[in-house]
Amino acid sequence: MEEKPFKVRTLPGPPHPVSPQTHPRSTLGPSLAILSLSPGSGQLPTITASPSPPRQLSLGPGWAQDTPPPPQPALPFLPNSPRPLASLGVCGLQALAKSSGHRGSGKSSPHDTRNLWTTATQSQPKLNVPLPTVREDSELEGSSVGGKTRWSYNQKAGHDSDGGWEESDDGEDKDSFKPEELDEHALMELEMRRGSSLGGPLEEDDSKTDDEKSSSVSSLNISKHTPHRAYWVEQQSRLPLPLTELMENEALEILTKALRSYRSEIGRDHFLTKQLQRYIEGLKRRRNKRLQVMVI
Amino acid sequence: MKLKQGSFLWYLYLDKLYCLLSVRNVKALVEYFHLLDVHRKKTLNDVLFYHFLHHVTDLKRNQITIVFNMLDWNAVGEIGFDQFYMLVCILLAQENHLEEQFIFRHSRPIFELLDLDGELKIGPSNFHMYNFLFKIKKQQLRDLYHDFDITGDCRLNYKEFKLFTIFSMNKYQESQKAVKEEKAVPEKKVSQVNVSQRQSLLGINHFESISNYNC
Repeated sequence: MEEKPFKVRTLPGPPHPVSPQTHPRSTLGPSLAILSLSPGSGQLPTITASPSPPRQLSLGPGWAQDTPPPPQPALPFLPNSPRPLASLGVCGLQALAKSSGHRGSGKSSPHDTRNLWTTATQSQPKLNVPLPTVREDSELEGSSVGGKTRWSYNQKAGHDSDGGWEESDDGEDKDSFKPEELDEHALMELEMRRGSSLGGPLEEDDSKTDDEKSSSVSSLNISKHTPHRAYWVEQQSRLPLPLTELMENEALEILTKALRSYRSEIGRDHFLTKQLQRYIEGLKRRRNKRLQVMVI
Repeated sequence: MKLKQGSFLWYLYLDKLYCLLSVRNVKALVEYFHLLDVHRKKTLNDVLFYHFLHHVTDLKRNQITIVFNMLDWNAVGEIGFDQFYMLVCILLAQENHLEEQFIFRHSRPIFELLDLDGELKIGPSNFHMYNFLFKIKKQQLRDLYHDFDITGDCRLNYKEFKLFTIFSMNKYQESQKAVKEEKAVPEKKVSQVNVSQRQSLLGINHFESISNYNC
């Protein structure tokens, strides 16, 4: 490589062409959202021949409309990031924008059934209602990414009823639901979240639709499948192995080049160089272990 | 700019309508970012950033520096995941020839990135500097300032920039339509030719059959 290697900045970098104090982005940065996949529609990025595998994304209309105040930056993955907010968001933003528009601004009509759901949900003392009657709001994926999951009444039921919210049906189900079952569901929910805060909610849809179809299925049957579902969700939330391998191999190549730059610029004995070297060795070890397992 | 074929980013899918990654893709990207985050600061320093971009794209050193400075607007010498995500979206938009769409969809963040001085106005030099990222042609740039610089100070504020994005998006859609129509026209012609050929063949056969009959 002909180009000069970069200098490692152990201190804050050279002054930016812009004075950061006067820059408006120092307080509020640009942010992009992340697309909210309809549950079950998306696939993990698998390795295919085409760089752009066709994928159906169900998106609510109107997220992408640009609103003068930049959308609230989503920092779901790195909540403790020291960086301020020059962020691209993740796909749940449309939902956040939507929900804030409906709930916060009060622009929606008073007859809007969604208001009923909202107020009803807020007034519920227990949101842990049984799965057949409750559906995780797909609009709230953004918040679930951050580790919080909210539940609301099934939107379908609301649409089917003319200007009404089928509270009576839900209420009946609730009445017939025993506290032991509630505990089981709470446990199941916990188990599912333990796997991953991201993958879990997305994978839930298939089972949910099954539940909706067979609303008469007793909750005992559901609790029978609880461990399997949790296991399945955990399996689904992992990245596929070829992708992990690809990522690690690529990272190794990049880091090996970076190590050369570190050595030439700040010396072999610098703690950053040593740290990088240890990290590379760790990555190599991990890769070798995986290879051995695959051979066996 | 081209992404290296077979690299991790090459497999990510940018939604063509909204120009965003899906949650699953972002999750994979987070994993990737963590792999590169050697010093466990949830950031990439300039060396790591340089080697990353140099590895996955064909950008030159000075271009990488420009991108780094653009994203590192706090001048801390490091790039967080948010900036990394934005960069990846920009790269994928360019790879998929969705620059107009991307600027249109994310006009606010793009404007803030281009507004290096923090004056809420963008001069032509800024556009020129980031030309390799957003592929705004010279003629387009001239038109942009000629048509949309309503205040006449040779700089665009956000509203003017937004107008430009809407206009360019319309233009892009029209050009796409035209391309589709162009593709459709030869097909029609081909089908017409086929029909006429068949007819002529039939005519010949008919003639032949008549002549045979006469014989």
